[in-house]
Amino acid sequence: MAHPRLRLNRREALAALAAFTAARAAFAFGQDGAFHPRVLSSGKGLPEGPRSSGPTSWSWELIRRTSAPARLTVGSVSADSSQLLEEPFTVWFGGETVPPLSEPEVRGLRVYLNLGGVLFVDDSNPELGAFGRSVRSELTRVLPESPVVRLPDQHVLYKSYYLLDRPVGRVEGPPYLEAIHSGKMACVLLSSHDLLGALAQEKGGGFTLPVQPGGQEQREQAIRLAINLAMYVLCLDYKDDQVHAEELMRRRGRQRR
Amino acid sequence: MSTSWAITEDVDRWVVILAACLLLGALALLVYELRTHRQRSWVIFSTGILAAVAVALAVVRPVFVSSRGNLVGPRVVVLVDQSRRMRLPAAADASRIQRAAEAVQSIAQHFESARLNVFGFSEGPLEPISLGKQPIEIPTHGARSDLAQALRELGATPGERPRAVIVVGDGRMARPLEDLNEARLREAVAGLGVPVHSVAVMDAPPNDASIRSVRAAGVAVAHQALAVTVEVGCEGDLACGRIPVRVRELRDGVAAAELATGVAEIRDGVGTVELEITLDRAGGRVLEVSIEPPGGDLIPENDTRYLTFVVARDRIRLLHLAGRPTYDVRALRRWLKSDESVDVVAFFILRDSEGDDPGASQFELALIHFPVDELFTEHLRSFDAIILQDIDAIRYRLTKYLARLAGYVELGGGLIMVGGPSSFAGGNYAGTPLDSILPVEQPRRDKPSDSKAFVPRYTQAGLAAAVTRPIRDLLGLSLPEMAGSNFLGQARPGSIVLWEHPEISVSGQSMPVLALGEAGDGRTIALSVDSTHRLAFSPMAASVAGRAYGALWDGLLGWLMRDPRYEAARVEVVGECLEGEADTVLRVTRLPGMQGQVNLTLIPLTPDAKEPIVRQLPGDSAEPTEIHISGLVAGGYTAKVRIGEAPPSRHDFACERGGSAFADSRPDRARLEAISRVTGGISVDVPGISRLPLPEATRVSAERQVAPMLPPWVWTLTSALLLGVHWIARRNSGLP
Repeated sequence: MAHPRLRLNRREALAALAAFTAARAAFAFGQDGAFHPRVLSSGKGLPEGPRSSGPTSWSWELIRRTSAPARLTVGSVSADSSQLLEEPFTVWFGGETVPPLSEPEVRGLRVYLNLGGVLFVDDSNPELGAFGRSVRSELTRVLPESPVVRLPDQHVLYKSYYLLDRPVGRVEGPPYLEAIHSGKMACVLLSSHDLLGALAQEKGGGFTLPVQPGGQEQREQAIRLAINLAMYVLCLDYKDDQVHAEELMRRRGRQRR
Repeated sequence: MSTSWAITEDVDRWVVILAACLLLGALALLVYELRTHRQRSWVIFSTGILAAVAVALAVVRPVFVSSRGNLVGPRVVVLVDQSRRMRLPAAADASRIQRAAEAVQSIAQHFESARLNVFGFSEGPLEPISLGKQPIEIPTHGARSDLAQALRELGATPGERPRAVIVVGDGRMARPLEDLNEARLREAVAGLGVPVHSVAVMDAPPNDASIRSVRAAGVAVAHQALAVTVEVGCEGDLACGRIPVRVRELRDGVAAAELATGVAEIRDGVGTVELEITLDRAGGRVLEVSIEPPGGDLIPENDTRYLTFVVARDRIRLLHLAGRPTYDVRALRRWLKSDESVDVVAFFILRDSEGDDPGASQFELALIHFPVDELFTEHLRSFDAIILQDIDAIRYRLTKYLARLAGYVELGGGLIMVGGPSSFAGGNYAGTPLDSILPVEQPRRDKPSDSKAFVPRYTQAGLAAAVTRPIRDLLGLSLPEMAGSNFLGQARPGSIVLWEHPEISVSGQSMPVLALGEAGDGRTIALSVDSTHRLAFSPMAASVAGRAYGALWDGLLGWLMRDPRYEAARVEVVGECLEGEADTVLRVTRLPGMQGQVNLTLIPLTPDAKEPIVRQLPGDSAEPTEIHISGLVAGGYTAKVRIGEAPPSRHDFACERGGSAFADSRPDRARLEAISRVTGGISVDVPGISRLPLPEATRVSAERQVAPMLPPWVWTLTSALLLGVHWIARRNSGLP
């Protein structure tokens, strides 16, 4: 399937222009609540490399495909900074073992999550798994009472915008996401699929990393997962409302046939 | 002069009882001895009796009482029913109370030699009625006639008891209850132990169709069907048969809404109809229940009842519409879903069909059609409040429903418009029917919003309002920085601005940011910013564990739904509100901390309400304030009370013409006859008053003398001698 890229309509162009030109304190009115996949910098600082464009690409796809506003200039935030509490979504990605969080970072993340923030943990090197293991270890310090559990197939995240059967990213990975819950809400989502790897794009166009085992369909499904994640952050369990239930069940049935 | 004897007054009662017991004991022993000993037993028995009696007399020492007295006329009490029902006609030319006055006049003449006391009774204490004025004037008040209480009060009054009681009325009484058996009726009215005569002021029922009662099966709950049973009476020479019944809800500024209609089939003078009504708004709601009486109905006052129904709320049913998903939408949804008392139906526009390209077929998407037609036609009334958050009226086809939405609010619904690029004028709401019900004007400007960050400022009203108290308790006067605002115009008359913009002005005043308003029966809120999510998630929010967001929205939604916690004052009607009666009294109780003068505005619940009644009471007293209003006519009213600068509180209430007192116009002669029968009295009509028997005269003592029959030493000596004789007789018989 041909993938349209950087062909802006008027609305998108305006949104992009506003996002690029505005500083934090002077967003265009209406941009304050826009989706912003800011990156958590811990230990060694902000991860560099081919995935660094992934968050911007995520915002871009969200603007292009949905009515949700998003910020194309994606920032980073440290776990011990008060800025962590400015917005309710943060992405923590990497491919190597993360060094232990400092006490202020542990406290900062705990406050952030208890306040209702969502942390998306994306393992860039799931084949190795060192990042995922070390993050899990640190999360037990942040939320010692809350275990990591497998997200059930019928979780609202798989129907928050697209109807998805399973998560995929740059790699196919396990057929599930994992999560830590705070009440009914998943406050930490853990992916072993290198989602940002599937989203990252080069400046001149084209995706930075190939998907494995491969195929445009896998890339599309990864983008759809990213859109669903963003919609889950913005709308929470909206698609679990009763008004949607009958129609979504009917469509699921048709998909399976 | 008359003479009698008595026991000396210086001996206590218990001594007399003890002496009597000893005497009986001695007699019993003597009888026993008489049976077991044959020898000279009669001598022993007789001396024993004489000795025992003499001892007893020595103890009680009898005296002679001589008295002189006069005979005076017996005390007779007349109890006249003075409830408001007695204003109803007894005949074409006289009301029942006029007939009662005539009856009292006749009784006074017939019982000329008696000492007559006349009291009026209804539902309060007995009220003395003077016989001095001619003709006799008997005031009427009270909805019920409680004869049982009147007789009890008479019995509890110190002083001389009456020799007879005469009840004057039509017999239609609240107590004693209808259909009591004789024993229970006697218990209720015969406590005085004197005959209760009765005088019926009328016999035949008037030509009248009326609403006798309106009963609801259970508690009224918003949005839930409630069965209301209307009992209709029809008596006299009217063409009773089928009488139409209608129930309407009176509303502020708009026509009454018809809730149900039915027909009462009249059999044996009475018929009932069960109607199902659904009240959508919580709080006090005023219902008008009316019948179409047949021609010749003499009493039109009881053809319509105005009743205040207090409607409870099970859960708040809320419609949340958002034009696009943002962190502000997220925060509001998260809060709404966390509140168990809120039942939220949400529709968020996740995809704009004109601009967004999801790159998938409909069946791969979890998006459903936005059911705008269904929501705003079929289901609109089922919601208690609607939140419009950043949703464009034209793009999402709301425009043609805005008039309906405005009507929904005027009929009691709530509306909150939350800021965003597609809110207010930016969402094409300026100049629409919805515009006129919002608490602020919407100026048509080239630029619908301002993107400069600012911190809103509390107004004086905002500082006084109970709505903002929870958030002020948490954050003081601090508020988070807002990322721009919609441009709003000045507040509409009667609206209250709680937050204002510190830099932008409109018409010389700071631009409203958060404003509250009333529109007809409903309430509206305008919030020009889309950054209140920072009260839920920001460093400032973290300082109070994110509770500030809930504190703000609790207040806003609570005020919208008339939650008493967020009203500045509580308003209640003291007693009844009745057309043509004394002043209606409204009691205003401030919430703690509410200061300033009380401003009351009273508006009839009619679409063409004339000038409202306005009262202003200065002062800051924490004590409840009573406001007297005169001249109210039957119907529904809304009382809006404002304390100082705080937003107004509202209380709806009904005023009746006659009310429950006029509901049943039939006389009840049989009840008067039963009361007289069980107490030994007689029941007559007004011409038959001459048949009432005059009780015996009362003797009044003027002089009383007490003299001992014998000196005490004589009693003592006699008893000693007789005891000695008895002892000798026993010794001679060989007894111990």
